Amino acid sequence: MSTTVTQDMSFLHLISSASLLVQLVMLILVLISLSSWWFIFRKLFVIRYEIKKTDEFEDIFWRGVDLNALHQRIISSRYESGSLERIFAAGFGEFNKHPVGSDLDAVMESTRRAMRATYQREMDYLESHLSFLATVGSVSPYIGLLGTVWGIMNSFRSLSSVTQATIAHVAPGIAEALIATAMGLFAAIPAVVAYNRYASRTDQLATRFESFMEELSNVLQRRAAE
Amino acid sequence: MSVSVLRNSSPSEPRILLAGVLALLVHLIFVAIMIFGLDWKDHPPEGMVVDIWTELPKPIQEPVKTQPPPKQLKPVPEPVKPKPESEPLKPEPPKPEPAKPEPVKSEPVKPAPQKALVESPIKKPDIALKQKPEPLKETKPDLEEQKKKEQEKTKEQERLKELEKQKELEKKKELEKQKELENKKELDKQKELEKQKELEKQKELQKQKEKELAAQQQREREAKAQREAEAQRAAQQAAARNQVTNEISKYKALILAKIKSRIVMPPDLPGNPVAEFNVTLLPGGDILDVRLSKSSGHAVFDNAVERAIFLSKPLPLPSDPALFNEFRNLNITVHYRE
Repeated sequence: MSTTVTQDMSFLHLISSASLLVQLVMLILVLISLSSWWFIFRKLFVIRYEIKKTDEFEDIFWRGVDLNALHQRIISSRYESGSLERIFAAGFGEFNKHPVGSDLDAVMESTRRAMRATYQREMDYLESHLSFLATVGSVSPYIGLLGTVWGIMNSFRSLSSVTQATIAHVAPGIAEALIATAMGLFAAIPAVVAYNRYASRTDQLATRFESFMEELSNVLQRRAAE
Repeated sequence: MSVSVLRNSSPSEPRILLAGVLALLVHLIFVAIMIFGLDWKDHPPEGMVVDIWTELPKPIQEPVKTQPPPKQLKPVPEPVKPKPESEPLKPEPPKPEPAKPEPVKSEPVKPAPQKALVESPIKKPDIALKQKPEPLKETKPDLEEQKKKEQEKTKEQERLKELEKQKELEKKKELEKQKELENKKELDKQKELEKQKELEKQKELQKQKEKELAAQQQREREAKAQREAEAQRAAQQAAARNQVTNEISKYKALILAKIKSRIVMPPDLPGNPVAEFNVTLLPGGDILDVRLSKSSGHAVFDNAVERAIFLSKPLPLPSDPALFNEFRNLNITVHYRE
């Protein structure tokens, strides 16, 4: 009895004394947590960058710059361009490809299609890995729970060999099993928070892109009609 | 063309590595918090162990605590220690005795200066007389008649003077004798007084010695009484311990008997195998754990004994919960044949 009570209850000892499956679950959860945090920071930087670039481009565009010069500048500095800039470049490039005097409706239709295609691609890029964060947020608690249930099962099974059950026999097993749940929650909570935040940000960007596409097609239509 | 170029440029994501470093940093911080934050869990279980057992054994510990009281009684030897102190006091009384002769010696010393003072005035006049006649003899050759007359006169005068001096001397001698007598009387008186004082001192010393002896005897008596009390207490404690040990052995025998009564002996085992078990008990006689510490070599017999131990639950325990400590971990040895 005294030997079990005075057991080392430190964090590392609990992990190292856990059963193999619980340790496996813990390893998976550590990897999941690492990658989810990696994507959290990556998406943070990407979305911040896109919002900054969109603000800058809208500011420049509505100041009334020469569209041809703007298009040339975007193509020349394509590695530092934002999503909205690329949408503009795709639409304006498609618009310029048509010879003067061709059917206006057809020109505007193909321009819109080109912009929509780039928009889809950009949205796909912005929303990439968000689904991973959502998965981590919903699944990792269950993985941790699996490890916990398994650990508790083991600790109760070891109780069966002892006739007189005391809390000291069960406590270490449950403690080490609960670490798996703690790790699962540690991975899930930030992933859920990040997913919700980034999803709303990308939605905001998407509406901005769509409204810009409509406005640009209007501008181009007016320019073609002149 | 331009569109395809733009397409390729889209995956150029900013600061991927920085994101990875930050993710690692977050996990390192988390692990550090877990490791250092959960360390406090080591301590509470120890507190639990202490809390459970300190309250119950108190009844027994009180007789046990009577052992400390002897420690308090040990200060009793401290009053006894004064004995060595009082013993040095015994040699001290003799010291005053040698000191007594000293005052006696000082008495002759005191008279000695007195005698010297008495003698010195006597001698000085002698010298004065011898010196004065010498100048008178020198005047004789100048005027023989006158000298003769003068000498006669002087001789007469001298005779008179000598007579007077003799008388004076006699008087002085008488005075000296008287003084000496007086001195002697005084000395005698002083000696008597000193002797009386010595006697008084000796009496006082004797009284002191007697008092000291009486005090020592009293202390010895007290010490003896204390020792006897201690001995009695020790005897009582020993008796209590004997009772306790008797009780413990009695209940151990009861436990063994109860276990033996439940053993279903496997038939026809060769020799006299012995199985030893280490049994952990709970207060109330419940069995917490049974471990085979030494197998008999026959698994059948070991199992039979183990089953019997579990069957004999609850084991008989003394009603005094304080004695339970003796039964918490029992070593039970069972012989196949008695």
